[in-house]
Amino acid sequence: MSNWVLKGLQSGVVTTRYPRKEEKAQGISPGFPDIDSQGGDINGREEDVCPTAALYGDSNSLKLDKGRCIHCFRCVRNTGHPVSWTSGFEWASFTEKGTPFPKIFQKSLYIRVVDSGDCGACLNEVKLLNNPLYNMHRLGLFITPTPRQADILLIVGPVTDHMKTALRKTYDAMPEPKRVMAVGSCALTGGIFSSGFTSGSGVSSLIPVDIEIPGCPPPPLAVLHGLLTLAGRTK
Amino acid sequence: MTTIGTLILSGLGIYFLGILGVLIFPKKRTSLVLISGGGGSLILMAAGAVSLFSPDIFRTVLWTIPGLGPVTVTVDHLSAFFLIAVSLAAFPASLYAAPRIHGVRSALYLGLLISLAPVVITADVFSFLAAWEIMSIFLYLLINSGKEERPGYLMLALGEAGTLAVLAALLLLAGNTGGLSFHALKVSSMHITPGLQWTVFILSFFGFGVKAGLIPVNFWLPKAYAAAPPSVIPLIAGATLNLGLYGIIRINTDLLPVHSTGMGIVVLVTGAVTALIGILYATIEDDLKTLLAHSSIENAGIMTTALGAGMIFLATGYKGAAAIAFIASFYHLLNHSVYKTLLFIGAGTVEESTGLRSLDRMGGLLKTLQWTGFFMLIGVLSISAIPPFNGFVSEWLTLQSLLRSVELASLGIKIVFVAAGAVLALTAGLTVTCFVRAFSMGFLGMPRTEKPAGIRKAGKAALVSMAFLALISLSLGVLPTYVIPAIDKAVSPLTGINGSTALIPPFFNNAQEGNELPQHFVSDFQTIGAQIGKGTLPGRGLVVMHRGGKKNPVVFAMSTSYLFIMLFILLALTFLIVKFATRHRKTVKRPRWDGGIRNLLPEMTYTATGFAQPVRVIFNTILRPKVVDRREVIIKHFREAIHLKRKEVHLIDKLVLYPLSSASMWTAEKLARMHSGRVNSYAGYALFILILFLVIASFI
Repeated sequence: MSNWVLKGLQSGVVTTRYPRKEEKAQGISPGFPDIDSQGGDINGREEDVCPTAALYGDSNSLKLDKGRCIHCFRCVRNTGHPVSWTSGFEWASFTEKGTPFPKIFQKSLYIRVVDSGDCGACLNEVKLLNNPLYNMHRLGLFITPTPRQADILLIVGPVTDHMKTALRKTYDAMPEPKRVMAVGSCALTGGIFSSGFTSGSGVSSLIPVDIEIPGCPPPPLAVLHGLLTLAGRTK
Repeated sequence: MTTIGTLILSGLGIYFLGILGVLIFPKKRTSLVLISGGGGSLILMAAGAVSLFSPDIFRTVLWTIPGLGPVTVTVDHLSAFFLIAVSLAAFPASLYAAPRIHGVRSALYLGLLISLAPVVITADVFSFLAAWEIMSIFLYLLINSGKEERPGYLMLALGEAGTLAVLAALLLLAGNTGGLSFHALKVSSMHITPGLQWTVFILSFFGFGVKAGLIPVNFWLPKAYAAAPPSVIPLIAGATLNLGLYGIIRINTDLLPVHSTGMGIVVLVTGAVTALIGILYATIEDDLKTLLAHSSIENAGIMTTALGAGMIFLATGYKGAAAIAFIASFYHLLNHSVYKTLLFIGAGTVEESTGLRSLDRMGGLLKTLQWTGFFMLIGVLSISAIPPFNGFVSEWLTLQSLLRSVELASLGIKIVFVAAGAVLALTAGLTVTCFVRAFSMGFLGMPRTEKPAGIRKAGKAALVSMAFLALISLSLGVLPTYVIPAIDKAVSPLTGINGSTALIPPFFNNAQEGNELPQHFVSDFQTIGAQIGKGTLPGRGLVVMHRGGKKNPVVFAMSTSYLFIMLFILLALTFLIVKFATRHRKTVKRPRWDGGIRNLLPEMTYTATGFAQPVRVIFNTILRPKVVDRREVIIKHFREAIHLKRKEVHLIDKLVLYPLSSASMWTAEKLARMHSGRVNSYAGYALFILILFLVIASFI
């Protein structure tokens, strides 16, 4: 028998303290271009600098569409006017119609994850929520295989044509109150696939989205933050 | 009691007039079969009821055959019970059969009906065997009037072997006496040697076991039931199986005195094994009718187990426990003829409407055959022993009576009882699996073939007969305290004590007479409501209860009547609470969750074969299927063609039928050498026979 008890005791608690304490470990987030602090302009045409057109607008008022950014760092490496970079992970934002759950539902939520044709990256990050480092069970968040029990529909991927029916059926099968969470740039805008010949341009074209989490892929903590925001448990 | 005689005579007379009518006016056969079959069975049922509840026994001597003695008819309580059980199945079966039966088959059908009653009321060897043979021949003719003939021949051959065994047994019994009447046999059997008694027992038990469907002589039954024409199979399944058990009960508990436990153990073990093997093959069977036939074997096994338990209790002097076991057996017999007729009518209706018999091909029939499905559901619940339906009462009594074996002295017998109880418990579990499968794969889910889309509705006659049987099923289940005293009238002559006083405590009257339970004990039950209904309801009470002896001071109690009322109240209450709690909510209807696939195809759903697969895997040792697994490579390096064929050969076929048939083939082959074609050798055979006869003649 392996000495897993001893090993476990030796390694101690590795779970993040987030959200009770701030998580400051290195490399937990790919980050985004820091437009706000810099304003700034980009020397050159945007499409040359930013392949997914996440940076847009004219040189005086440059804007960032987080839903399109794939953290490619081309804007940072841009030799003329390098853009500075921020880390952090609390990126979740409600859409116009999105609201947190009513108070009575906040303590415990069940999540149905639908892979609507993603590359595997987002799904991998969502999967990490169940490991000892992030352990979302401690926050009362659980994955469920059946939409009949689910409160949150977590969608990754750009919604390929073949997954449209499944997604629609899953959404219809969920009881009220329900919230839809789009995770990753693909689910938000279509991402690098954009609206290709086999895929749509994000979830919102099919079903109403309540909360969006940008990133390609968003780190587990960003997803966790999104879930807590949806539960109304973040400040 | 002339009323009984008149009733029986008029019942049989109506059948006979029906036959004449069918033969003379073949165009009017529907109404003729309906009137004579239905009316005759009702009259016979009435005759049975009258003689069951009258204290006297109807006896009459019809005429005397020179050399064989008088032909006697005796309607004692045992006969009366079987008359009721047979007619109870015959009445709805005739309703169902009337519009479906054609040509000469309708005359054969009425002929079978005519021959059923004499089997149970004749009281001498000659007329009993004559009635038995007539019944067997009509049964054979009816089964062979279907599409396939081989199963009928098999049944006839085995049935005749059984009859011969019974004949031998009865003649051995009669050898001691001058008369051939059952009464004389009963008197003479009081002092026969144990060896003779064992011979008579083995011969008659397995001889009648052919009709009753007992192992190892039941291999004809599934094949014959599957091959019989659908219009007559409810009668065959519901009524004739009972007669085999009647024979066993009549000879081995009534005529022969029950002295030794050995015979009881043989009966008990045979019953338990029959039950398990029967249900095992029913669970994996695909053809709905064959499934029901295997389940008939299982039910015969349960009845026989209870019978064996009763015989052991009787031989060891535990008359109370024996009465309970016999009542359980008789109750189960009554129940089985009701729900098996119901299920066969349902299966017949399904086949008629959709042309389907294979469970793998059915599915979703509830949408089109609502009422048939509803009645089938009741039949399935009854046979699976789910309260408040009737199967529960008799299976409960059977298992409880097996538990009473703790009181027995001998350890060996106790072990046999425990094993039989475990086997019966397993059987009960498998029965639920089997019939959940039969109903859900047939009636629920999606239609698996195109055909059920264009179904014909069930006929009115089928629905009426099924409704009648469903109602009887429910009444037998809800009112056991009124059924048990009636059954006890047939049982008490066998055991010598009043079983109903032992089983039904008098919660409805405070009289102390006939009350086996102490007063303080009774009052405990009255505080929890056992006397609810007192003053308004007749009878002793609604609770079935008995106490173990000193060695097991346990109370076995149940009341399906109160359970039914409570179920009703709780269901209504739940409904009202839910209705009240959700009065402000709106209901949203969404399609069922199918995993998000585009189209759920019938091929994707669970099949009957898949449902039974766990059972097949668990009991692989018993089933031992022939698996042919052949893989062929079509082109090198490319996909293989895989042929996987699996065939279950019935255990009894493998162990009894095949060796038997190969042995007789071998014998025939050897004997065929006699036919050499030379005239000299034939003349030699004639000479040899002549000498043989002369030698025999010189000895006599």
